Amino acid sequence: MSSSSSKRHSILPPISQSGPKPPVQFSSSITIADSALLTGSNPILISSESVIHPRARLDSLSGRITIGRRCIIHERSTLGAVGTSGRITDKAVALGDYVTVEVGASIEAGDTVIGDGTTIGVGAKVGAGAVVGRNCTITARSEIKAGEVVEDNVVVYSNGMRRVDRRGVAELRNKGQARQIGVLRMMIPSNPAKFQ
Amino acid sequence: MAPLTPYTYIQCPCSDASTLGRQADSNSPRSPDDDELDDRAFDPRAPRSNYSLYPLDYLNYCEDCQQIRCPRCVAEEIVTYFCPNCLFEVPSSNLKSEGNRCTRSCFQCPICIGPLSVTSIESPPDPSLLAAPDGAPAPHSGPYILTCSYCNWSSTEIGIKFDKSNSIHAQLVKLNNGGTTRLTAKEHRERRKEASQDRLAGPPSALAAAASNGGENNEELDLETQFANLKSFYQSQLADAAPGGSGLSSLNDLGFSSPTSLSRIMSLYTGGTVHNSRNKSRTGTMREALISDEGLQIASLDESAAIQHLHSIDYSETITTEQSTNQPPHLGEVHPHGTSRFASSLRPIPYLLRTKRSKRCPVCRHIISKPEAKVATTRFRIKLVASAYIPTITIRPLNIPSSSTPGTLPPLQPSQFILTFQNPRFETINVTLATPAKTPGRFSSKVTVLCPQFEIDANTDVWDEALKDTSDKTKLRRRGAAGDDGTHQAEAGKIWERGRNWVSIVVEVVPASLRLDLLEATAKEDEDVLEIPMFVRVEWEVDVGGDDVGTAPSRDKEQTEERELAYWCVLGLGRVGQA
Repeated sequence: MSSSSSKRHSILPPISQSGPKPPVQFSSSITIADSALLTGSNPILISSESVIHPRARLDSLSGRITIGRRCIIHERSTLGAVGTSGRITDKAVALGDYVTVEVGASIEAGDTVIGDGTTIGVGAKVGAGAVVGRNCTITARSEIKAGEVVEDNVVVYSNGMRRVDRRGVAELRNKGQARQIGVLRMMIPSNPAKFQ
Repeated sequence: MAPLTPYTYIQCPCSDASTLGRQADSNSPRSPDDDELDDRAFDPRAPRSNYSLYPLDYLNYCEDCQQIRCPRCVAEEIVTYFCPNCLFEVPSSNLKSEGNRCTRSCFQCPICIGPLSVTSIESPPDPSLLAAPDGAPAPHSGPYILTCSYCNWSSTEIGIKFDKSNSIHAQLVKLNNGGTTRLTAKEHRERRKEASQDRLAGPPSALAAAASNGGENNEELDLETQFANLKSFYQSQLADAAPGGSGLSSLNDLGFSSPTSLSRIMSLYTGGTVHNSRNKSRTGTMREALISDEGLQIASLDESAAIQHLHSIDYSETITTEQSTNQPPHLGEVHPHGTSRFASSLRPIPYLLRTKRSKRCPVCRHIISKPEAKVATTRFRIKLVASAYIPTITIRPLNIPSSSTPGTLPPLQPSQFILTFQNPRFETINVTLATPAKTPGRFSSKVTVLCPQFEIDANTDVWDEALKDTSDKTKLRRRGAAGDDGTHQAEAGKIWERGRNWVSIVVEVVPASLRLDLLEATAKEDEDVLEIPMFVRVEWEVDVGGDDVGTAPSRDKEQTEERELAYWCVLGLGRVGQA
């Protein structure tokens, strides 16, 4: 086809910025895709070297969103989803350092805390007010109910079963995360200016 | 209540009560029972029907017997054994010696049954390496572990590491949880030999020996060693007793617990020393095992250690029933009296082998389905599925009066359904249908098949049809149509609609009322489902000469042969609502 361009087009409808544009506070070293979706009225804080994939949705309508250092927020994941509770709090979602939120995962707003080095798996859901400890793994499609507390180093798998991860590979995992961010930086064109 | 999608189940003739357990014996007088069975309509609610009704897709067809074959009435033969993880084809000779699990490096996680992968353990990262993330990756050497990428379990949790990255199964057999090497039965025997040389004690003094150092003799044995000890102990007793036997066998020896019977059983199972048990009798009885060297294993009923351990650990470190049942029998198990309850005792599960099976007709021994022997291919060499031989019946509602509960059939009001029969054969078939006027069961509904006899045109190549003239499409017309106003009525004795190789007819039902005032408080499970038993008889002509079917317009009459197939099927139409 003569009209085809080299650019790949998404079949999804174009992202439309609806709602208010939130005040943002970005570190200079973050990578945020052009088509990430930031809405809400409360501030969104993203610390150094974190990566926000295209079409990730950060909704600060019900409170402030804080993302730590070297976090990766994958596509179509939602931070600050106004869940069933609809609570409005000061801090909607707080992510520690080295947190990975994988594709399609959802973290509801309402004093939800995700500890350092934790991975939220594909399509997983963290309810409002849940507190997930450090170096946890929430496996794909798992669900943490609202207000639940997950201790440090816990693996939540297979319909809410839990076990303690004793591998002690947190350091290695962080190292891998840093490397992955290095690659992602090259692949995702960053446009923080759009949101500021 | 969930609405019911209409379904069609076909009864396999193998479970027909009139043919069950009866040989084709023409001489035997027919009992009045036989006629009764012949006349009786098939009852889909009979308990036996549970085992004979199948969706069409589940059924095979034997071309030689010209009969439907269900999964229950075919003989299966295993074509290959293979590991579902590595797709390695295991020869059946290995199966006897190595068991039904993969003996390579395929394991399932004992926690979550996810696949385990072999990874090398890198040396603990030093801070300088962390600062430089571009540093060269550590060379893959040194100890290896099994890790689960789903639940993050690793074999370090049970203290097991491997020296080599291949043949993990062989390495694992030699390791106990915690990493200690396990002595094989042979090594145990050698050790015992050394010990017994010190003792220099024969079987009669074993009691004394056991009494003198009981603690030492009741060492914990693993399953394999215990069995080996027991086996050698009883075999030596048999060997001792055999030459001493004389005289006639006493009647006491006939019981199951008698030494004669025991020796016979032992020789049967071990296949070792074959005694001529007929001439043999013993004056004395056999002694039981007394020490662990003889295979005695005292059950450790003292669970205080386990309880103590339970106090100190988390709930997540105990195992679930599912996890313990998933555990393969481990010959190195030290605890034969009840399985352990702690996650630290779990072992990686070697993958169970799977099979590819071929199916044979039980009557004529012809192969009905045969997969390719190669593991990776999913093709079948032979596959005679019933849907290629008998018409597919689909049900569609036509005219259902509105009911109080949506998705149900209103009782005592006629509802109409369209049954579409599709002919998979390349011959024209004649279909004759029969249903009982009233469905069997407590609530009998009235059933009327408006057109119980019709002809379906032969199946043709789809492309032939597509490339034909459009004038042919006039064939696809409504027979029952009253006019062009679109409000056509179903007419008795007429086909509703007809197509290339399909025919639709109309069935009218008047569901019974589910009034239970006099019977019971509640209807039984699924008793409100309206099921119609229907007898289908299919007739067609085949060329005996073996020519191409349906090509010659003037077919030689002598070369054709009449064939027929008859079977019961059940049409599930829907749930009957409350009046």
